[in-house]
Amino acid sequence: EDEVHVKQKVTEVDPLEEANFDQELKAVVQARESMEQRRQELRGRPTLNMMIPMNVFEGSAKDHHGRGISGESGDEALDEDTGGNREVQVRVLVKRGNKQQTKQMFIPRNSSLVQSTKQKEAAELQE
Amino acid sequence: EDTGDDDNYEYGKGDFTEHACRYCGVSNPACVVRCNVPSCRKWFCNSRGNTSGSHIVNHLVRAKHKEVCLHKDSPLGETILECYNCGCRNVFLLGFISAKTESVVVLLCREPCLSVNALKDMNWDLSQWCPLIDDRCFLQWLVKIPSEQEQLRARQISAQQINKVEELWKTNPDASFEDLEKPGVDDEPQSVALKYEDAYQYQNVFAPLIKLEADYDKMMKESQSKDNVTIRWDIGLNKKRVAYFVFPKEDNELRLVPGDELRLRYSGDAAHPAWQSVGHVIKLTAQEEVALELRASQGVPVDVNHGFSVDFVWKSTSFDRMQGAMKTFAVDETSVSGYIYHHLLGHEVEVQMVRNALPRRFGAPGLPELNASQVFAVKSVLQRPISLIQGPPGTGKTVTSAALVYHMAKQGQGQVLVCAPSNVAVDQLAEKISATGLKVVRLCAKSREAVSSPVEHLTLHYQVRHLDTSDKSELHKLQQLKDEQGELSSSDEKKYKALKRATEREISQSADVICCTCVGAGDPRLANFRFRQVLIDESTQATEPECLIPLVLGAKQVVLVGDHCQLGPVIMCKKAARAGLAQSLFERLVLLGVKPIRLQVQYRMHPCLSEFPSNSFYEGTLQNGVTVNERQSSGIDFPWPVPNRPMFFYVQMGQEEISASGTSYLNRTEAANVEKIVTTFLKSGVVPSQIGVITPYEGQRAYIVNYMSRNGALRQQLYKEIEVASVDSFQGREKDYIILSCVRSNEHQGIGFLNDPRRLNVALTRARYGIVILGNPKVLSKQPLWNSLLTHYKEHECLVEGPLNNLKQSMVQFQKPKKIYN
Ligand SMILES: [Zn+2]
Ligand SMILES: [Zn+2]
Ligand SMILES: [Zn+2]
Repeated sequence: EDEVHVKQKVTEVDPLEEANFDQELKAVVQARESMEQRRQELRGRPTLNMMIPMNVFEGSAKDHHGRGISGESGDEALDEDTGGNREVQVRVLVKRGNKQQTKQMFIPRNSSLVQSTKQKEAAELQE
Repeated sequence: EDTGDDDNYEYGKGDFTEHACRYCGVSNPACVVRCNVPSCRKWFCNSRGNTSGSHIVNHLVRAKHKEVCLHKDSPLGETILECYNCGCRNVFLLGFISAKTESVVVLLCREPCLSVNALKDMNWDLSQWCPLIDDRCFLQWLVKIPSEQEQLRARQISAQQINKVEELWKTNPDASFEDLEKPGVDDEPQSVALKYEDAYQYQNVFAPLIKLEADYDKMMKESQSKDNVTIRWDIGLNKKRVAYFVFPKEDNELRLVPGDELRLRYSGDAAHPAWQSVGHVIKLTAQEEVALELRASQGVPVDVNHGFSVDFVWKSTSFDRMQGAMKTFAVDETSVSGYIYHHLLGHEVEVQMVRNALPRRFGAPGLPELNASQVFAVKSVLQRPISLIQGPPGTGKTVTSAALVYHMAKQGQGQVLVCAPSNVAVDQLAEKISATGLKVVRLCAKSREAVSSPVEHLTLHYQVRHLDTSDKSELHKLQQLKDEQGELSSSDEKKYKALKRATEREISQSADVICCTCVGAGDPRLANFRFRQVLIDESTQATEPECLIPLVLGAKQVVLVGDHCQLGPVIMCKKAARAGLAQSLFERLVLLGVKPIRLQVQYRMHPCLSEFPSNSFYEGTLQNGVTVNERQSSGIDFPWPVPNRPMFFYVQMGQEEISASGTSYLNRTEAANVEKIVTTFLKSGVVPSQIGVITPYEGQRAYIVNYMSRNGALRQQLYKEIEVASVDSFQGREKDYIILSCVRSNEHQGIGFLNDPRRLNVALTRARYGIVILGNPKVLSKQPLWNSLLTHYKEHECLVEGPLNNLKQSMVQFQKPKKIYN
């Protein structure tokens, strides 16, 4: 109801500022010491600790076999045809302390996570 | 004991935005994450704003923080983002992987878990690792990007500001943006602007100005203590003690008004212990006596009359409410509609029309017929979300406003809020609106409930007392008990207060229209009310933050009525005035290009009197709704130099002097001539109530009052009944005859107050039948506007000198007006 059209000013990012930020970002992402430190830390520990609750891969396996990440709604095919921007449902696996939980989430079909999986699927299907 | 104060009330909604982005204020739980570094724990959103990276990424990079936690109301709930395998929390290392065959995803760190071979054997597709932070932004499906609207309404922060505030946080983690821009103690405050990036910037500019004004007001009022005050005791109808005394004002600055709080003290003597009590001013008598209703009922030394002291009790309430309104405006998205938000800040907004059915006729029951320009005003305003109505003197602003409110109330959009900066204006408007048949509640400050009001029957406190007077009513019983005993037991008092509050709410909610002052709109009793439609009368006499108080209760349609060609708000602190606090919202909107709808027919002045103001202040557009005949004073024998032209400029050459207080001016010759003119009016059959003497200076005002009472040729009482007041206090009112004493008369100094064209406009437009101006043309003619006024009087043979019974045209030479440089 409260719709308002503000004539938007074009926001210009100061290029110097941007360069400066990028440099700092790189420093954070590639922080050598922390990377080394992590390797050290993890050396003594078991490297695989992926406790997956059993039910995650159960139940839905049959229905969705071969489809990878997919929506559960019936109009799935329609979306693909129209190249629609609809969302697909995923379960995100998180840990709360030692407990594992899954949470439902919707991810846009055009997100890279979905896209890459779809491409892969398609490639596999070709084979 | 009902103190009626809201000292403990916290103004401005602030608490619910604990999780608001510390950069921009966006507080949508789906869009924000918390920095998880224990010493930080600040929230940031995922919008880029004006920067290349999103706010959260900006913070993490600049502060070198690496851990975050999602909001409890986000889809994943309160979750610290960490690697599912190793628990690594460095968000710059994290990314999602999905199962090969399932719609299941987990977070996994890039190093080392992504290279753990064992994982490949499981169901996970490691080749498709997808970083959590992509293109300097968190994955949008995990942390949403605020909508365009949300971003537009947020604080517009630049990369430079981010760097600055991050720097500041290193030494003071609680610092806010306001701290960044705080001027030093001796700095000039930042000046007001035409446009603001956002409501935070707006607040940053106005908050220090309001603070300056508040500090000045406090300092001034608290320094007004008076000793050796003589008291006359009385008892009010409500059985409360009333103290009468004279509280002399020494200069123009402090005006006591009903509702002000004073403390009365007695230091004690052999027979009386020391005593003090606070009370409210309930009225000011014509003899300049103050009536103070005391809060205390016991121990009052009523058998003593001399040796009391009086202090002013300063209240920050009105300033707190302004600050609160600005805060609400910034942090509460529902405070005003998006359109109004952007419009007030000067953003370019696409024109919007209000889609409402227009009434068939624009007048309202119980009001006079509207003229064409009034109809046009009502019609246009009903169709727009923001409008300005300019009402030059005598053009029927109040009737037009009342008709407008009538139609707005009939549109069924809920209650209409009607405000004005002054109580007098609110009362006038409330009365007119009530005449249309609408249900009106006039909400008064609790401190003013004892002050008599011309619309008492409309006031909330009166309606509460008279709602249900049947014996069954519990509230009524308790009220009677309280009146009789002066106080109630604590349990009864509790019950009484709860019942009263409930009744107040019930009555307020059933009204069509709520009327109160702008500051009154911040009353906690209205805290849960929403008003889509708000009309503010006399809005050109309010500061912007004052105007904002009624607007932030949900306004979607705003009508500002006023006249920016008359005097604006009174700002006492020069620093704040210089920085622009005296500019009203109405004026700024005019500067932004909102065209005021002007009411064009004046019903006050004799056509001869409206000619100059119309040409000088209103581009000649003011038409006369009264004829010469209707303004002919029959039977009044007054020596107007030109018959049928009831005006003249009386040339005075007497010297100006500095008044005893040292802060004002007076002019004895002018005062003596004012007395002569008043006497001539009285002798010719004019009654005292028809005459108003106005002068810009308090020194001259006091001197004239004194002079007339001592030297008046007629009965003293007649002179006492004549109102002598400053130009400023005469705004909004009228008299049949006006005598204006200009005072200033010097070779080299300026003309002070007279320099303001708006003050001249007000002074010239108070009279209905006739006006006499006393002044020194040689001095006044240096100012361009006064020069043209003098020329106008001269051309009409109304510039005169000599004794009143033998006025002759003056040949005094004018000075060349100084050019105005902008
Ligand atoms: Zn942090
Ligand atoms: Zn933000
Ligand atoms: Zn890991």
